Amino acid sequence: MVDDVAVEISETGAAENAVLRIYEVGYHIIPDTKEEELEKVVGAMRSEIEKAGGNFIAEGAPSMTKLSYPISLREGEKSVEYDRGYFGWIKFEAPVAAARTIESFLKQNRSFFRFIVFQTVREDTRAKMKAPQLREVKRTDVIKQVPRRIEETSAPVSEEDLEKALQDITTE
Amino acid sequence: MSNNILTQNDIQHVDYKDIDLLKQFVNPHGRIVGRTKSGLTAKQQRAVEAAIKRARFMGLLPFIQK
Repeated sequence: MVDDVAVEISETGAAENAVLRIYEVGYHIIPDTKEEELEKVVGAMRSEIEKAGGNFIAEGAPSMTKLSYPISLREGEKSVEYDRGYFGWIKFEAPVAAARTIESFLKQNRSFFRFIVFQTVREDTRAKMKAPQLREVKRTDVIKQVPRRIEETSAPVSEEDLEKALQDITTE
Repeated sequence: MSNNILTQNDIQHVDYKDIDLLKQFVNPHGRIVGRTKSGLTAKQQRAVEAAIKRARFMGLLPFIQK
């Protein structure tokens, strides 16, 4: 009886390993990490995925990203807040068990302060948004530039002329 | 004419990393807009919801915005 159960478990385990699924890992690396060390940190995760039997499909290199809200992390007795981090992602094909292995690896690694592992599809999921098209406007005639009216330059008007001109206007 | 952004742009999959696209489905407070306003199909709305929630968890989108 016990043997039967054991055999069953091993069989389901084998079946789980045979099924390959597409996963994506998104991660944030702490901003204190030097740019040269990023490759080493990501390389450790990559080797972990390979060890678990994963094949890479696509990857986004980590780049500094500002966070929408500060993420606090407990480090020993004090908590540290991060308002930015190196965000990167990896898409890979792996057996079911591999996802759990990678998740536990990321949990233990202190360089990754936030990560997500989820099942996805093989196709490229990034949206290719068309650039917003400009509304077509009916063409009208070319507007010709009107020559600027040359300001009349006249000599200072005397008081008498001004009075006379005013009177002419008022009498009309 | 419907205002379904996903169908208009022929977008089959919604990715949590496409912040500019997802921002069109949240209101100024950061809340997910309903189907009446988004104009999406039920299936698309579920995909958008999942993507927004992933983006929020990863700190790419805010949970709330004042």
